[in-house]
This record gives sequence, C-alpha cells and structure tokens, in this order.
Amino acid sequence: MKKIKILIYLKLFIISFLLTSCEDRSNLSAPIVENGSANFTTFVTIGNSLTAGYQSGTLFESAQKYSYGALIAKQVGTTYEIPYISDPGTGNRMEVKSVDLNKGTAEIVYNTASGSPLNSNYPKAYNNLGIPGATLYDIINATSSSNCYAAIYGGSPNPMFDLILRGKGSQFSQAKSLKPTFVILWIGNNDILGYATSGGTVPYTPVANFQFLYSQLVDSIASLNAQVVVLNIPDVLSIPFFTTVPPVVQNPADGSLINLYGIVGGTTKQLKLGKDFLTLTSKSEIAAGKGLSPSNPLPDKYVLDSAEVATAKNIIAQYNSTIATLASAKGFTLVDINSVLNNIATSTNGVLFNGVRFSTKYLTGNLFSLDGVHPTSQGQAIIANEIIKAINSKYNANIPLINVATIPGSIILQKYNSNNNIIPIFNNDKFNILF
Amino acid sequence: MKQKFLVFLFIASSLFASGFQLNEFGAKAMGMGGAFTAVANTPTAIFFNPAGITQLNGTQLSIGSNIITLGSTFRGVSPNITEYKLKDQIFTPIIGQFTYKYDDNLSFGIGLGNPFGLGTKWDDNWIGRYITTEIEIRVFSLQPVVAYKIFDNLSLSAGINYNYADVLIRKNVNLAPFSTTDGQVKITGDDQSLGYAFGILYKPTDNLSFGLGYRSKVKYEFSGTTSKVAPAQLAGKLPSGKTSAKLTTPVNLSVGVAYKFDNLLLSCDYQYVGWSSYDSLNIKFNESNLESKSYRGYNNSYIIRFGLDYNVNDILNLYAGIYYDKSPVKDEHLDPTLPDANRMGYSAGFGYKFNENIQLDLSYLFLRMEERKITNSEINYSGIAGAIAPFNGVYNSYAHLFSLTLNYSF
Repeated sequence: MKKIKILIYLKLFIISFLLTSCEDRSNLSAPIVENGSANFTTFVTIGNSLTAGYQSGTLFESAQKYSYGALIAKQVGTTYEIPYISDPGTGNRMEVKSVDLNKGTAEIVYNTASGSPLNSNYPKAYNNLGIPGATLYDIINATSSSNCYAAIYGGSPNPMFDLILRGKGSQFSQAKSLKPTFVILWIGNNDILGYATSGGTVPYTPVANFQFLYSQLVDSIASLNAQVVVLNIPDVLSIPFFTTVPPVVQNPADGSLINLYGIVGGTTKQLKLGKDFLTLTSKSEIAAGKGLSPSNPLPDKYVLDSAEVATAKNIIAQYNSTIATLASAKGFTLVDINSVLNNIATSTNGVLFNGVRFSTKYLTGNLFSLDGVHPTSQGQAIIANEIIKAINSKYNANIPLINVATIPGSIILQKYNSNNNIIPIFNNDKFNILF
Repeated sequence: MKQKFLVFLFIASSLFASGFQLNEFGAKAMGMGGAFTAVANTPTAIFFNPAGITQLNGTQLSIGSNIITLGSTFRGVSPNITEYKLKDQIFTPIIGQFTYKYDDNLSFGIGLGNPFGLGTKWDDNWIGRYITTEIEIRVFSLQPVVAYKIFDNLSLSAGINYNYADVLIRKNVNLAPFSTTDGQVKITGDDQSLGYAFGILYKPTDNLSFGLGYRSKVKYEFSGTTSKVAPAQLAGKLPSGKTSAKLTTPVNLSVGVAYKFDNLLLSCDYQYVGWSSYDSLNIKFNESNLESKSYRGYNNSYIIRFGLDYNVNDILNLYAGIYYDKSPVKDEHLDPTLPDANRMGYSAGFGYKFNENIQLDLSYLFLRMEERKITNSEINYSGIAGAIAPFNGVYNSYAHLFSLTLNYSF
C-alpha cells in the first residue's frame, strides 16, 4: 500500500518533469525572407547624398549605416559595402548646442573636427555608390573631383568623388564591375536643388540635357541586365530648408507682420508669405538686419521668389515625367518618392509611421536632419520601406518592412567639453555647395 | 513636443508579479513543494500557517538561507529570433524563525523572512533596454504571532507583520530624434508598512489535518529618488529628484490538507494570490510634476501544491513535492522586467537529525516556466511615445533554488 503510493507519486513527478523541462523550440524558426523573383545576390545603389546616407551637412558612419540601401540590404540579407567615414564625418557636421524642446528651437553649431575613411582599401567597388553632390551628368562621366560637374561647370572640385570612386572609374563603371543583380538608382536631385538652394543664382540642368543624360543613363543601366528600381525627384520646396524661415518678421511694437525685402534677378521686391521663400541660411542675415528695408534687401541667393518657385516646380515635373517615361520603357520599377514626401509635407499634423509622427518641420519633424535637406535615419527608413513595397509588389516578394520606431534618432547633440571650434549658427555659404 | 518626452517615464512595471514573490521560508516546506499549510510542524509555520506552532514543543529556532538563481532568455523581436539572456545573479533570501511554547495551549513565535526578494538584470545594450535593464525588489518581513489551542484538535493563530521594502528600477531612455547614446534613469526607493496574518489548524483525527493560512495585502508608499544620465542639452527633460509610488502586494490565502500513512505524510495545498489589486503602477516624479502610469490589469492567480514527507528512520526524512503556479500576467502585458509564465516546481530534500535537538533540512527546487510566445504584446520597446513597436517574442525561463535550514530545539 505504502510503496504503491510512493511509486505513483514518483511516476507523476517524473512524467510531469519530462513534459515540461525540455525547451520547446519547434515553433521558432528564422524569419523567412521571401525575395520572390527579386535577386539580391549583388546589390548596388547609385545616386547622390540621399543614397550615400549624408546627414546634417556631412557624411559620417553612424548616418551611413542607416542609408536606405543599407537598410534594405539588411532586410534581404545581402552584402553591402559602404565607404564609411568615421564620425564626425567629412567635416562641418551640424550639431545641436542647446535646445528648447517646448519651442522646438535649437542653437546649431558646426563640428569642425573630421573623421577618416574606414575601408578605403576595400578592393572592389562599394555597393553604396552614392556620392554627395553627384548630378545626373556625373554618374557616367565623373571619375574624380576634377572632372565632376561641380568642377567643370562651377569651378569647385568635389572631393567626395575621390573619396568614394578612389580612381577606379565612374559610378556607373564601378557598379558594372560588380556585375550587379539588383540596382537602385536615385539621381537628378542636384540638377535642380542647387538652383533652388542658391535662390535661383545657380543654373539648373536644362530639361533637354536632362532627357538626353537620363536616356543615356538608363540605356547603360539596362545593359547590366539587372533588376532596377528608380526613384524620382521630390519637390525641393517642401523641405525645411525653404519652409523654416518665413519672408516676414513680426513687428515687436504691435505684433504686425512686416514683409521683408529681397533682391530677385537684380531688382528689389517686397516678399510675400506663402509665395516667396527664404533659405534656412538667410536666418543670420535677417538677424543682422538685412531685408528690413528696400535699401538693405536680402541678397538674391537667399531668396527664391514666386517665379523661381514656379520654375523649380515646373522643372521637377518635367524631370519626373522624363524619369517615369524612360524607366517604364526599360521595365524598371518606379518609386514615386515625390508623392510620398508630398503627402507628409502637405498634411497638417504630419503622418504616422509605426506610430511615430513625421512632418517636414525643422528639428521637430523627425524627417529631416539639421541641414534641412537630408533625411534622418528614420526618414531613410521611410524611404527604404517605400522601395521595399515596390519590390514586393513587382517581384512577388515578401520582404519585411522596417519598423521605423526602432531606428535610432540621428540629430546630433554637440558633445560638451570637447575642443570643437564653435561657429555661430549657419555658415552662409555652406549651402551653395551642391548636396 | 512635450508629449514626445513623456515616454521617458514609462517605467517597467511587473515589479511584483508572482516571480518576485517568494514562498520559500524554510527547507522542509520547500522540499515538500510548499504544501505545508496543513503540516506546519516546523517554525517555518509562522509564514505558512502560524496556528501550526502549537505543535512545537519548548523553544525552537530555525535559521538558514536560500540560494536562488534565475535564468531567462528572450528571443525576438519577432520575426527575428536573436537570443538575449538574463544576466546571472544570485539571490540569498534569509530564513529565521523562533517559537516558544508558553503552556500546553499558548505559543508565541516570531519570523524573519523575505516574501519578496528577486530581480532581473539585462545587458545595457539589449533590445529591450527601453523597457528595463535592471530591477530588484526586496521585502524584509518581521512577523510576531500568537497561537492558541482552543481544543486539542483545533488551533488558531494571528499575528502582524512589519515590512521593510526597497526597490531599484533602471532602464534606458531613447532620446530620439536625437542621436547616439541613450539616456538612463535609475529609481530607488523604500518604505515600511504593516500587514497581518492568521492561521487555523484542525486535526479531526491523528492522521488527518486541515490548515488555513492568510497573509494580508500590504500597502506601500515608496519614496526615493530618481537619478539620470543624459546629454546636458536634454537633461532637463528626464525626470529626477524625489520620486514616489504606491504599490500593494497581494493577499495570500492557502488552504491545505495532509494525511499520514504510517511513515508517509502526504499533503496538498491550494494557494490563492490576489493579484487583481495590482491594476496599474503609478510613479510620481514630484520635482518634474509628472506621473507615469502603466496599466497592468493582473489576473488573480493560484498555486496548487503536492508534497510528501517520508520518514525513513529515526534520523532521516525525505521530502518531495511538485506544484503548479499560474501566472497572473496577461500575454499582452508580459515584459522582460519579469519574464513570468505558468510554472511547474519540482522539489526534493531531506531532513537529518544530528541529535534530539538539532535537525538539518536541505532542499532543492527546480522551477520550469512554460515557454511563452507573445504575439499580441502591448509593450512598446522602441522607447518612443505612441510608437507601435510590440515586444513580441519567445520567453524561456527557469530557476534553481537551494534551501538550507538548521532547526534547534532547546
């Protein structure tokens, strides 16, 4: 009797122990990334600063690793070599010295320290072939700082070309050398951006030239026999670079709005809110008293007046129609990133992505870095997701989207007690360099 | 903009879930799977069923300690299956009880123990760092009781308990849209509070006994400080300084039955734990004039225990036990502060009598928590307020407990 009871107890004990003590891992498996018919064996992105992952006025590692190309490569699990520059990057990184979160204002300084290239000895071409400042012309033609578009037509060689191309040929020829299976191309932004950010004082690429160059480029890209995604050109006027500083100031006496004066095409005019735009860089000029009277107008390079705005919009529309037509003719997948960013720009309270609110507001909008032109790391994730959606649709794939809330913030705070040489807010000529 | 930074205040919350409650007040009781309410024949009875001390002769003292190690892994966040491991820690709750038989009917006792005394620690860079990096709660409870034998077969007991509790909570703070390093918040606080307990032991025959033990809930109002680490530009946005929080530990009611066949004593307990009082955890940062509220919505839970005590000979007893402990934490609220789950406990131990006065009890308890796969988490691990970033994944946890008690009767 007694022994039987003990045996029953023992049996119960052992059985239940066995039942529960082994970890059940059978319901776990690695996430299945279904690339469908998309072939990411060799993945290349070609473009400008937006492709490079440039942020806050410079190119630096902690931003580069969140470029849309890097994010997509991670999602699909493919190799993606990046021309990393250690933080704080190629120089003059914009950083926040102090911030008033309730007002949404900040004091911005330049970090004059610079980092150094981390894998300049990588024997092959980089998978990220985005070069800050690159124009459409450059993709096929530029092989160094001395023969890039900025050097030939603007007299200012762009050292980014030497840094990333390393004398191994143009962006296109280096992409070709990798025998890519999947290519993302996002180019043409700088062909109009320089015109806009310089207040219309720097020429844009004429539409006919753009058509010729883009046609030549898609032919070349098509010859790679790769799968290709192209992105079009966002409306430059919705970026905080143009929407942050209004062309009016408040009269401290009675609170009324005073319209500022600025030079446009050699003549001085009074600027109107909602019609004429000022660059982010005009802020310190206004603070110094410029624009308050017709006799002391804001220089032309800070003013994008309504006519110039119309020109820029018109040119972008024609560029985008060129891109759409030529991409479609080659069977490339088009991502209408212009519409996506416009949706965010035109929404009153911003748009939620994974519960995080994004708007085109400077500093507080989450979307743009401190230069007011380039996206934050989370902004890059939004772009990456739009590309992934297009790929999933076109190639019957099921690549998981990125949760943008899990991408770290990328607005840089100035480190205290460092020996940085602090420069007052907004170095004026900084933005006349192309992006 | 202000709203954005409120997220800094989301504080890990499953502080007092069943995993942090300890029912290990003595090696013999632990060896018997905690099915001790109707047995209650060592000074440990003070915590299980203080009426049991009327069974103890003369003056008795129990001292000892537990050694507890927890192991837990989280694999996620889904669809990823990267494995993160809880950092190794050893907890050593104390055991100390003293009983005194005044006359045939009246007995006194006083017990010192840790009804709570565990914590979890994860790597500072782990994926759930905005939920928790470290938490520890300790309660020291001093419980004087008086027990009275009304009839030969019925004893009643009542007592109060004085509790001192301290708590530590540490987590990272996401400073997005600002970059690179996280901020860090550390909250420490303590409080003391009173509770009460009572017990009934009824022995209708020599071989059969019924027991009931009750420990009241205990209300704490913790006060302490919050310290922070953050870049100077944002430091003003993180809470710091004086901090307070109200918390109530749950009521515990156990009923048990035990039956003795010759040398074998079998016992069975049902323990009810009233977690539903734990609705939400509200932490007030007095200096920032902010309050962080996190909804918990715990279920009441229970534990079913079976135990045996086999008297081998005059000097040796063997113990074994098994129990099932239902988790009070709902799937959607489970977080890595305490990776709780329904659990099975398996225990074994022995008692060795050195002489008439000294007995040593040594027990081992293995706790296996059911694998828990969360697919509907409401815990946001991004550290960004309002973000939809559910902390879905798979938890596997276990614990090893060793208990050693030395009983001395005068």
